[in-house]
Amino acid sequence: MPVVADGRPGVSRDYFDLFQLQPNFDLDLDELAARFRSLQRTFHPDRFASQGAGEKRAAAQLSADINAGYRILKDPVARAGFMLERLGCDLKALEREPVDGAFLMRQMELRDAVQAAPRDAPARAALLAQVQGLEDLAIAALRAGFQTNDLAAAGVAWVQLLYIGKLKTEVAASSEPA
Amino acid sequence: MVLLQIAEPGVNPAGPSERKLALGIDLGTTNSLVAHVDGGSVSVLADDEGLACLPSVVHFGAEAVLVGKPAEALAVSSPRDTIASSKRYLGRDAAEFAGSKYPELQEDPLAFVTSRGSVTPVEVAAEILQTLRRRAEQTLTRRVEGAVITVPAYFDDSQRLATRQAAELSGLNVLRLLNEPTAAAVAYGLDSREEGVVAVYDLGGGTFDISILRLERGVFEVLATGGDTSLGGDDFDERIVALVCEERELSDLDHSQARRLLQLAREAKEGLTEADEVTLYLDSVAADTAPVVVSRQQFNSLCEDLILRSLEACRRCLADAGVAEVDQVVLVGGSTRMPVIAQAVGDLFARQPLDTIDPDQVVAMGAARQADLLVGNRDAEDLLLLDVIPLSLGVETYGGLVERIVPRNTTIPVARAQEFTTARDGQTGLVVHVVQGERERVVDCRSLARFELGGIPPMVAGAARIEVTFQVDADGLLEVTAREATTNATAHVVVRPAFGLADEDIAAMLRASYEHAGDDMRARQLAEALVEAEQLIAGIETALAKDGDLLDGDEREYLNAAVARLVAASEGSDIEQLREAVDATGQASETLAARRMDRSIKTALGGVSIDILAGESPS
Repeated sequence: MPVVADGRPGVSRDYFDLFQLQPNFDLDLDELAARFRSLQRTFHPDRFASQGAGEKRAAAQLSADINAGYRILKDPVARAGFMLERLGCDLKALEREPVDGAFLMRQMELRDAVQAAPRDAPARAALLAQVQGLEDLAIAALRAGFQTNDLAAAGVAWVQLLYIGKLKTEVAASSEPA
Repeated sequence: MVLLQIAEPGVNPAGPSERKLALGIDLGTTNSLVAHVDGGSVSVLADDEGLACLPSVVHFGAEAVLVGKPAEALAVSSPRDTIASSKRYLGRDAAEFAGSKYPELQEDPLAFVTSRGSVTPVEVAAEILQTLRRRAEQTLTRRVEGAVITVPAYFDDSQRLATRQAAELSGLNVLRLLNEPTAAAVAYGLDSREEGVVAVYDLGGGTFDISILRLERGVFEVLATGGDTSLGGDDFDERIVALVCEERELSDLDHSQARRLLQLAREAKEGLTEADEVTLYLDSVAADTAPVVVSRQQFNSLCEDLILRSLEACRRCLADAGVAEVDQVVLVGGSTRMPVIAQAVGDLFARQPLDTIDPDQVVAMGAARQADLLVGNRDAEDLLLLDVIPLSLGVETYGGLVERIVPRNTTIPVARAQEFTTARDGQTGLVVHVVQGERERVVDCRSLARFELGGIPPMVAGAARIEVTFQVDADGLLEVTAREATTNATAHVVVRPAFGLADEDIAAMLRASYEHAGDDMRARQLAEALVEAEQLIAGIETALAKDGDLLDGDEREYLNAAVARLVAASEGSDIEQLREAVDATGQASETLAARRMDRSIKTALGGVSIDILAGESPS
């Protein structure tokens, strides 16, 4: 049986180019959605249902790229990862770099608090707000990093967002009714 | 607009005088229907007796194969040869039905044992589809160009593939497999131009589906799907059967008695839609047995847990979709006629459910609209169907765990890759086991396929880099490719269900049907293949004339050579050879097609800036 490698296959296409958008971290999500729909309306394989095999296969590939691009660009964390990779950063190496001690402590405190907090308690809402605050800070740092072309700073913020993402998943899972 | 630049002349769109006949088919567990678009309105096609519903029952008797009502009539007298609800068996494993008395099953591949020998669920479905195709051809006296066939949203890859195989076997060209709830939304969405979030609650005879869709500017996006493949109206009938058996102490009913009682129970259930109480007269089931009266209230409480099961699935689906509320609720399936269902669903979503289209026909009607569009009868600026995969796809990794590659609810088509490596030093081969499902452990998921990637050079454990790519097409059908990076060793499979029919089986069945059909059929097929070849050649010539600069010398030569071989094959009369040449030429034109599409991206988006983003500068 295969073993999951820690790597990820490289991205084959520049999604900003595909959507004909400037490669900025700040994106108008309505505009992105409108472009996504226009592209799918034109290139979805259904539009080539009565054409030759070459068109069908090419449309399936392009349509899959459009779906992948939309999924990545609409999510700030995935979008940032894609931008870093596009600018030559090695994401695998970034993920392995040590994380700021204070951030890690805060992260662990919040995780313990989430596990200790009773379901549906007001305390949980307060915790969620704190996680959200942490996320907002990291997003702001990410934005600043891209704006000033400080890729190292953007990379640090991106890794922090991966941690926060995991925390949010745990909070969501522990909030579900048993 | 851009589409027209890409579309090849002579292929589409058709003028009004040459509208192509495309069918929408609802292949149901209990009943099947066929619909088509006629001059802008959708109509469901009825049989000679005026009945739209074809009971999904096939009788495989020693003398004849019967489909629909005549087959249903024989269900009681010859249960062994009469197959009902065969959709439940499509693309599944006999082991999943251990303990079932009827129908009598044969394993590997799963087949029903009848007087005509063993019959697979794919062949049963093919008989039903063929009956519907003939009904359309006879009523409309035209050739059927293609069909959209609906499947439950919850169908996994094996079940979808089995459906497609059945269509091929019945001689239908499948334009698209469409999720049933999506088809229902198409029927309503196109008719009323709604925008917003829609829940489609589909309780059929044997399956329950819930879908949350978002409709916006003509795009139907499936946000999430859920359901239960073994919950349906039949279960409600069973509750009445159980009640009657208990009250009248009926046990050890033989098969015929059980069928009669089931029929009475179904009539009682239907009666309770209008009446407050019904009486079941049991003389035909067992002599000297007093009638049983069932009130609607009693029935509702008997079935409460079934309804709650469906509502629970609705809540999960809402959570998956990430929406708190919906704007519209569509009811699909005859079982939603039960007042208690409409009430419960309306309460859950806090919306009065839509029911203006017959819930038995709405799916076939939506499918017909989509079929009409796909066959090129309309310039389809106004509609695009985006679909999602219903269940996660992954591969088995060390320790019997599943590594998910494509999570459920991912919009299709999709291509996703994951890197793997070897577990042992010097390992030169790797078994890729493809599974579908949401559980962590492989044993709890559905096994789809297993293949081996060989030729990996001996390396230390963890050094090899094996990229496994999953490609899911717009029908939800999967292809998997594994590639080792350092050697480029590649293995590729179009996933065929572990418990289904092999391609060779289908080919053999098709050959048998051709031989059966005789010379007329062969002549028709040759003529069709010739038309396809001509269209393909004309299309490539136009594309080359317009965008020939997109290919370099070698690429152009390669394509020209393929076209030349196709021209040569068109001059002969060997269908197999011609078909192969059409396929090969189609493949050869993929590079040109892909680059032409890339070239037209800007044009495609140019329209957005002007139409939708008025006032904003194009980037």
